[in-house]
Amino acid sequence: MTKRTAPDTPPRRGARQHRVDSSDRRRSWRRHHASVARGALLRLRQTPVASTMTLAVLAIALALPGFLLTVLTNLQALTAGWDTQPRIALYMQTELSDAAIDRFSRELLLRDDLSGVELISRQKGLEEFSEYSAFSDLLEQLEANPLPAVIMVTPLSDDPVKLPLLKTELAGLSQVSEAVLDMEWVQRLEAVLALAQRGSYVLGGLLALAVLLVVGNTVRMTIESRRDEILVSKLVGATDAWVRRPFLYSGFWFGLLGGVLAWLLVQLALLMLEAPARALAELYLNRFELQGLGLEGSVLMLGASVLLGWVGSWLAVARHLREIEPGEV
Amino acid sequence: MAAIRFSNVFKRYASGQDALLGVNFELASGEMCFLTGHSGAGKSTLLKLIMLMERPSRGQVWVGQQDLSKLHRAQIPLLRRQVGVVFQNHQLLFDRSVFDNVALPLQISGYDPADAARRVRAALDKVGLLDRERHNPVTLSTGEQQRVGIARAIVHKPRLLLADEPTGNLDPELSEDIMRLFGQFNQIGTTVLIASHDHSLINRMHHRVLTLRNGRLIADD
Repeated sequence: MTKRTAPDTPPRRGARQHRVDSSDRRRSWRRHHASVARGALLRLRQTPVASTMTLAVLAIALALPGFLLTVLTNLQALTAGWDTQPRIALYMQTELSDAAIDRFSRELLLRDDLSGVELISRQKGLEEFSEYSAFSDLLEQLEANPLPAVIMVTPLSDDPVKLPLLKTELAGLSQVSEAVLDMEWVQRLEAVLALAQRGSYVLGGLLALAVLLVVGNTVRMTIESRRDEILVSKLVGATDAWVRRPFLYSGFWFGLLGGVLAWLLVQLALLMLEAPARALAELYLNRFELQGLGLEGSVLMLGASVLLGWVGSWLAVARHLREIEPGEV
Repeated sequence: MAAIRFSNVFKRYASGQDALLGVNFELASGEMCFLTGHSGAGKSTLLKLIMLMERPSRGQVWVGQQDLSKLHRAQIPLLRRQVGVVFQNHQLLFDRSVFDNVALPLQISGYDPADAARRVRAALDKVGLLDRERHNPVTLSTGEQQRVGIARAIVHKPRLLLADEPTGNLDPELSEDIMRLFGQFNQIGTTVLIASHDHSLINRMHHRVLTLRNGRLIADD
């Protein structure tokens, strides 16, 4: 071992450190974001099959709840036009005179468990029937009006237990030949719709979780494949944020592209539904336009998918980047 | 002013293995020094402590004015930007060109691309590989790869240059070249610490030598 000696020439000065000032740093920060965003997008293209599969899974997972909620919104719009107040139709005995029926309807008005009484006389019933029904020709062949007078009463309470009791009571009146609790099915439909809506929220939640897992797993594999780069970058002074950035952008792109595909899928599905929906609406004499996602829905859908992609990659990055530390080099 | 100071540093790994036992030394700013010892003597551990790739179990490590035990995780990158490191296995990335490998520390520190390009070319010129900037490092010889690693370590003109067995895979002639290169950086004021077990080479260089054995510093001459 040789004796320690001074360097051949004494150092003139410390090697000059290069300073990067803060405006440079901001500019370089923006530059890095732009280049990383572009890089992450190009990286998706480098593995076209894998990326396409991932995007397809994301698109389907995002489109399903979007589609379901759109359909439900439409059904609710369809039923909103209908009077949902439960009513009881009282079919009068046909032998009663118009005057007797009129008197009876006034008596009903005095009851305190009814909030409304509407008399549809035999004549008015006939007019309505011939206006709306395809069988109006048939009526013309009959000599007498076969329709009974109907009194539509609106119960004060819409309690599902009290309504049938009231119906039975009204049916027992001597003037009444039959009482039918009307509009019950609209209420049932509404209950079903509410259930379906809740169901699609649950489904949406589960599928959102699936999106997180799919993005998370894809990003995890990307992290694994770029392990060396992460190690070297950390060794030459990369911050956590710098190392994280490309992966967060991958998640962002997965979310955005998956969301756009999902949007297209929903629009396509709605397009296919439009004709049958219109036919159905016509059957119910209802003026009805099929609603698409609309601007709000579209923004919500894209926003949610971008957010999910980003959060999914965050989860993967938070979990795996800390494990890659240059200790073992 | 000391560039590096170790004060009674112990390092015991989680496995129970003692890598360093009460190491004390000081490296003056602008000094060039070799760190030698048998394989497993603690040379790599000592370098890792300077880079905060590991933390000491006891004792203190100073780099310049900075007590490393006071640096928390988020401050480590800034420390590493002041230090250049050359690894035995050079740690180059084979998915990008020589130029991009050398440019990485500058990108990370946020240099303007034009400025960075100028500095990368200057560094490559220094190690004699300017004509290879567009090549993929995988197409270079081992010696050339090592020189790319050196260019990357000095491209941002660090105050402190560390090297772990930089000539480990090279023939004597190439090794001599590499060492001469380190000497040149030292002459412009960079503090250089080189871990090596190549005694004949070290002896020819006439610099201070720290010798480790089983985690203890047994000679400083």
